Amino acid sequence: MSDNTKKERRKFLDKGLKLGIAAAIGGLGISKITSKLNAKTNHNSTDKMELMTVDGTLIEVDSSEVMEVQHAEDHDKKYNVREGMPNRKFVMVIDLAKCKNALKCVSACNKTHYITGENAWLKVHKMQESKDTAPYWMPRTCMHCDQPACVTVCPVDATFKRRDGLVLIDNERCIGCRFCMAACPYSIRVFNWEEPKQGEMSEITMHLGGETPSPDYAGMPSRKGTVDKCDFCPHSIKNNELPHCVTACPNGVFYFGDKYEDTVTNGEETLRLSKLLTDKAGYRLLEELGTAPSVYYLPPVDRLVDFEKGLEDYNEFQSVEKPE
Amino acid sequence: MKNRSTSRSAFLVWTTGFLFCLGLSNIYAQNDEKYRVRLRADYVKIMEGDAYLNIKATAKIEDETLPVPNLEIAVYNEVEGEEIILGNTKTNMKGESRFLLNKSDLKADSTNTFNLGISFKGNDSFKKASKSTSFKDAHIEANLISKDSINYLTATLKETVTDSLLVGEALDVQVQRLFRPLKIGEEFNFTDENGTILVPIDKGIPGLDGNLIIEVVLNDSDSYGTVKAIVNAPVGTPIVDESTFDQRKMWSARNKTPIFLLIFINLTIAVIYGLFILLISNLFRISKN
Amino acid sequence: MTKYESLINDLAPRKFGKRGTIWTFILVVIIIIGLIAYIDQIRQGQVVTNMRDYALWGIYISNFVFFVATSFVGSATVAVLRLTNNSWRTPVVRIAEIISLASIVMAGFTIMIDMGRPDRLLNLFIYARLQSPITWDVIIIPTSIILSFLLLYFPLLPDLAILKKHHLKTKPTFSKWYGKLSLNWTGSKAQKAIQSKSIKIIAIMVIPVGILLQTIDAWLFSTTYRIGWDSTNMGAYFTSGAFVAGLGALITVVYVIRKVRGLEHYITDYHFDKLAQYLLVTCLAYVYFNINEYLIPIFNAPAEEEIHLNALVYGDYAGIFWFSQIVGLILPILILLFKKGRKPLPMLIVGIMVVLGSWWKRYIIVTPTLLHPFLPIEGVPESWHHYFPSIHEWLITVATLAMALLIITLFVRFLPVIPIQRTAEEKGLLKTDKKAES
Repeated sequence: MSDNTKKERRKFLDKGLKLGIAAAIGGLGISKITSKLNAKTNHNSTDKMELMTVDGTLIEVDSSEVMEVQHAEDHDKKYNVREGMPNRKFVMVIDLAKCKNALKCVSACNKTHYITGENAWLKVHKMQESKDTAPYWMPRTCMHCDQPACVTVCPVDATFKRRDGLVLIDNERCIGCRFCMAACPYSIRVFNWEEPKQGEMSEITMHLGGETPSPDYAGMPSRKGTVDKCDFCPHSIKNNELPHCVTACPNGVFYFGDKYEDTVTNGEETLRLSKLLTDKAGYRLLEELGTAPSVYYLPPVDRLVDFEKGLEDYNEFQSVEKPE
Repeated sequence: MKNRSTSRSAFLVWTTGFLFCLGLSNIYAQNDEKYRVRLRADYVKIMEGDAYLNIKATAKIEDETLPVPNLEIAVYNEVEGEEIILGNTKTNMKGESRFLLNKSDLKADSTNTFNLGISFKGNDSFKKASKSTSFKDAHIEANLISKDSINYLTATLKETVTDSLLVGEALDVQVQRLFRPLKIGEEFNFTDENGTILVPIDKGIPGLDGNLIIEVVLNDSDSYGTVKAIVNAPVGTPIVDESTFDQRKMWSARNKTPIFLLIFINLTIAVIYGLFILLISNLFRISKN
Repeated sequence: MTKYESLINDLAPRKFGKRGTIWTFILVVIIIIGLIAYIDQIRQGQVVTNMRDYALWGIYISNFVFFVATSFVGSATVAVLRLTNNSWRTPVVRIAEIISLASIVMAGFTIMIDMGRPDRLLNLFIYARLQSPITWDVIIIPTSIILSFLLLYFPLLPDLAILKKHHLKTKPTFSKWYGKLSLNWTGSKAQKAIQSKSIKIIAIMVIPVGILLQTIDAWLFSTTYRIGWDSTNMGAYFTSGAFVAGLGALITVVYVIRKVRGLEHYITDYHFDKLAQYLLVTCLAYVYFNINEYLIPIFNAPAEEEIHLNALVYGDYAGIFWFSQIVGLILPILILLFKKGRKPLPMLIVGIMVVLGSWWKRYIIVTPTLLHPFLPIEGVPESWHHYFPSIHEWLITVATLAMALLIITLFVRFLPVIPIQRTAEEKGLLKTDKKAES
């Protein structure tokens, strides 16, 4: 009797162990397979997309996470890209007393517009009028002049001045004669001497936004043999958002607004433009040429930080970061 | 003997079961890669307008706080311990969503406080999260008055249900502008013992057709959320359009060429090419002769 | 053979000898190489040049300006000399007309080479903005091409008829073509009347159109704010320079053709002397403009002008600047002041000096200004602070010059380089109509 029981016990033990191990292995196995399956569904599109967040940083998100947004069509109806927004006149005020050459504005602009050449659209100059006067950092954008020399000389109407003050470029029409570049006294225009190394990124962003390339989206994409420049980010200001250089600046150097509203803001402070210019003696660059720029400068008085601090990031021969 | 076999089988069963459970638990265990979502829900009420919840979803990914788009958020009203679903919404590309609240759907508790909550079920990349917000209903009555040829904006802040005046609350008075509103008045306009503020409107603020849209805002109050009253104040200076877009200038479009250029160039071309036609016809005449 | 027949024999175009064939062959090779370089430029973009965002115009533009200036020779010799009754001009007018036409055609090609998007060439016509100086250029250059062609063609008609007869037996196909192109010219009174009136009209037109061409070319620069370009002088300065460049080119080409074709009896020392005096006067006028342009700003020297002038006089561009002034202007003046200097061989040297000086002078006008902008050159690679043309630019530019020479060569091959009919008339060799002076 005991032998039988022993045998039965052994059999039971055997069976039990086998069953147990099988179960354990099975369980582990299933879990591994499931996690692998999970992993697959998470990354089955190895497509990761680089997207621009609002503050100008690039993040990688899975393509599957990204969805096309239905774009409200009605506000586009009355908007003609060569006329611009009615009853607006965009101006920028740059406070030279606050600029520390942090160059965050330059990076944000370069990233937003996919600038891949060797000349940035927004640059910060190291200025010193004479050896006895104070040196200072001067960011300079396109001045969007009210009497633009560049527009006057364009033979094909590729660059144009809008009602809302912006001067934009239609890079589908530009013939690459570079007369506008010769005419601009501020040397802000850049030329695409070769095929822009923008890759697929800009096309993807355009499709995500549901928009087609237009002068409102400078640099998206850029075309070989045409001219580019700062556009005051109409793609942003159209949606009541400030241009990227304004939001990227950590020192509140850039103020932007509508001159007809007499209000400019740097994101934090919102001020009356007329009062700002009177109180701080605003001026414009190369005023004597008569170009009537839309960018005002506030003199570098009562500097918050020493000029020398800015020399750390100063690179005389580079304004666009090279990709690794 | 029987005990030994029983205990052995029991041991076996337990071990097997334990191992099995371990294995199974792996399937249901949370993935460590999931991020934590931070939700924000802010109540905003526009006088004589909508009331809504401003929902924002962010997550810390690689030391950066980034907005999270496309999250399914459920919005509910907590009434006597129950969660009454008000609706669902999805965050947009910027991780934000605006959920319109229907006044009639909302139920307050015994203290006249509305308790709302939002929750996110969690998905493959993000853990579940929720946030609740409570507020009482307040309202602002704002008016434009004129005294001694100075224009003032006056506003009274009251709690709706009790109709009691709210004293010592800071209100912002600002003119609606394109990017950020322009503040007028003091930095903090505190309501006096009548729950009222009186703010002079600066002269010379430009507006479309002289019309200013002034907002009186109770900003992000702990008890009442954000309440905003909007007043149309036709006391601004009208905007004068300085654009030369419609004028014939050297920098205008090609359909707005200055007259003297049009005349001079076309005249010159006409004369020269007229003579060309004459000369070429002369060639033909010579040939025919 | 009568004097008349020997005249025709001398002046009729001849087949190329060995020299001519080799010369043409070399030109064609240079052109093909330039074409290959241009195709590469289209493929890769203008990155193959050394132009960058600051030196945004380079030798393509200065070469263009040179061609435009040289094309003025038609106005200068044919029209101006005609209006001032300088009858010695007869032997050189045909060459002048040929150079004029070749230059202005090449100017049209050269400017297209500088376009970043030549595939959008039609935009210049479809979307033309009348406010732009380039549009004025787009109007005036085709106009000048047509006018230069007519200036060459009308006086050519009698010569074509003569050649038709001349080749009737020996080269029948040529004869047929000459006949067709001569538009059935018989020398009848009616035809002569039409021709004479037409040439009068053309001669009067070609001066204002020529000056307009030079002035619009100048306005490409003086309508900008840049130091060295923003000058009220520019239009007159360019016109004066065009006289010099055109005459220099004319003298050089005249000497070569005279030598190669043995035309010493027709283009004599007297003609060289006269051309030399013309060149001298125009060079003196040009010196006057140069003094106004370069010497006077040194007087009050606003800061930016000073930087620019220093670069020209002492700095990076001093070599080229002084070469173009001394070799291109001062030395020729000194040589031309002496009778011995106005003889054919010294004139060849003067002509070459003037042409080289003129070409480099336009380089001085275009590039240094662009490298002295108002705001500092920053944020760009160090190489962008300088400009010297790349291999592609040189190959293409030399090819355009070769093409101009090829056009001249082909014209010389097939057309009489000295007007036969007119020469015959002036020498009284025609038995019929003594009246006609076309």
